[in-house]
Amino acid sequence: MKIEVLYPEFCNLNGDMGNVKYLKKCLPEAKFIETSINEQPAFCTQDDLSLIYMGTLSERSQEIVIKKLMSYRQRIEELIDKGQVFLFTGNSLEVLGEYIINEDKSKIEALGIFNVHAKRDMLHRHNSFFLGKYEDIELLGFKSQFTMLYGDNSNEYFATVEMGIGINKESKLEGIKKNNFIGTYIIGPVLILNPEFTLKLLSLMGVEEPKLAFEKEMIEAYKIRYKKFKELAVKNK
Amino acid sequence: MNKKKTLRFYITLWIAKLSSVALKILRRNATYFPGKIALTLCPEFMGIIEKPKTIIGVTGTNGKTTTCNMINSILEQNGFEFINNKYGSNIDGGIATTLIQGVNFLGRSKKDLAVLEIDERSSNKIFPYLTPTYLVCTNLFRDSLMRNAHTEFISEILNKYIPKETIMIENADDIICSHIAEGNRKIYFSIDKLETDTKECENITRDIRVCPKCLSKLEYEYVRYHHIGKAYCPNCDYKCPENPDYRITNIDKKNMQITVKSNNQEEIYDIVNDNIINIYNMLAVIAVLKELKLTAKQINDSFAKIKIVETRYSEEIYKNYKIVTQLAKGMNPIACSIAFNYIRKEPANKAVIMILDDLHEEANGSENTAWQYDVDYEFLNDESIKQIIIAGPRYLDSYIRCLIADINPEKIVYEKDLIDATGKLKLEAIEKIFILHDLYSIEETKQIKQKVKEIIDEKIPEEK
Repeated sequence: MKIEVLYPEFCNLNGDMGNVKYLKKCLPEAKFIETSINEQPAFCTQDDLSLIYMGTLSERSQEIVIKKLMSYRQRIEELIDKGQVFLFTGNSLEVLGEYIINEDKSKIEALGIFNVHAKRDMLHRHNSFFLGKYEDIELLGFKSQFTMLYGDNSNEYFATVEMGIGINKESKLEGIKKNNFIGTYIIGPVLILNPEFTLKLLSLMGVEEPKLAFEKEMIEAYKIRYKKFKELAVKNK
Repeated sequence: MNKKKTLRFYITLWIAKLSSVALKILRRNATYFPGKIALTLCPEFMGIIEKPKTIIGVTGTNGKTTTCNMINSILEQNGFEFINNKYGSNIDGGIATTLIQGVNFLGRSKKDLAVLEIDERSSNKIFPYLTPTYLVCTNLFRDSLMRNAHTEFISEILNKYIPKETIMIENADDIICSHIAEGNRKIYFSIDKLETDTKECENITRDIRVCPKCLSKLEYEYVRYHHIGKAYCPNCDYKCPENPDYRITNIDKKNMQITVKSNNQEEIYDIVNDNIINIYNMLAVIAVLKELKLTAKQINDSFAKIKIVETRYSEEIYKNYKIVTQLAKGMNPIACSIAFNYIRKEPANKAVIMILDDLHEEANGSENTAWQYDVDYEFLNDESIKQIIIAGPRYLDSYIRCLIADINPEKIVYEKDLIDATGKLKLEAIEKIFILHDLYSIEETKQIKQKVKEIIDEKIPEEK
């Protein structure tokens, strides 16, 4: 089993690398390929990757990564269509949208794989808790971002929102899911916070009889946070 | 230059001064509110109010408060009269409050010198109105992800707003910090290569790994911690500054002394606290005070009397056990990692009690724990650490983080209640007990320390 982690020298903000750390515990036999910015991604030539992961990055880094990935745009689209499993967390999803707009209205063209675009507002950082549903799994998470995503994701959203925001403050649909591509603004250790979702992801990745590392403790922590978030959701209504 | 005083300014000043008096009568802290009122009533207030001729600003991610406290103590002990925000906030309202305290009812400045701790994130609201003569930048790291996002964001704010006239005093071992305000006059401080430095970075996070000019992977002559060390780009001229103005050439931990070289002269100073970050803070203090023409003797005589404030670090020998309380700021992964590293490298066997939850944040809901995955919990996986006690509302999250760091679960106690968890402290085979706490857990830390003493009393009753 092979997992490609894209540009860890840039895409390592907000504790997102905790997801990789945790996957290493769940899949001790797996090979993790860390692709740096001056290397050709493994996904260009290898068809047997179980997961392609990318985490949160700075705004400047987004622009560097967009330039690098632009040459692989067609390949990424082909892989999404073929059902390759991707997990993009935080603002890394924006790289695959149409464009990113700065406050001064200047535009950064992105890969244009999804019909969405991001708007930056560097003076107003959005922070919130997230409670929502992916299929029948109740998802928990944190959001911390300068951008909001706009466009119609109603046919390819990742999760419905019970508490918090979707791709923007008016939206109740979080992230993008197309085939096995999952992109979510939920930051940090999303896999550690959500044991059921992680089991689902491991299944998608082709793990037979997936098993979680530290399952008991993770479920206990999940239950405590779920109760708290449910209470907060009621309070915030 | 200050803008012309207007009637609106005077009325605002008087209201702010009266509010300050009223708060003092009510025995409330007048450290932020008067300035906040002033900025609300007169948005240009900070630009209009007279300021001391010399302003020392201190900014950066870690060490601002300790650095300012040391500067304040040394200046006080040497008879300087100055204003400072020691008891106030370091954001715009707090700075305005300090400036209000520094003028009379006619708005005239009463002192010629100010020492101001300045929150780096708030510098866009401060520097347009205030030009520090010297601005110390201690370091720049990732901090609270919810507020400060990342170092590029903070660097951009600083670069945009630091006045061109300000003389920067920067950490030359921090490749991010040392490139702030490129066009300004610079004074650099640095610590020479240490025996403990490494070739590879041991930390999970490094806030700069790639050259911002040519995208080559940065290399290091040596790494101290995170991105601190001697970094350089192998393919272009981007690197840490060479020939720093103030250099620590030797750290003598046995005799608790450092040797500082500047202007081809070597001077010896007594170490206030041997944690590397506090040695950097001391060096920043020496650099700025030497620029103010204080002598090494004036500075060092005061260092000998300085103690790091108890809310940040304290140590006590209690019946043969050393109890150390140490700030490990919640939401600040670098501060926690430095604290973990310090503990593992301290000689002797020890137990660690951790309450890293930001209890202030907890009161508003549930804490965002993403930052814990940027903290080097792996440093706690050390033979000399015999027991780890985790308490507080997010105790399970920290426990899972410890498990992911491969720490033996048999060493770990995890419970929500701080005192119940502390009650499980085992004194067998340990000599030191570290209590790591957040900024908002000072009261709880005292309770834990008291409980630790009770446990020691039970073991050694005769010395009660």
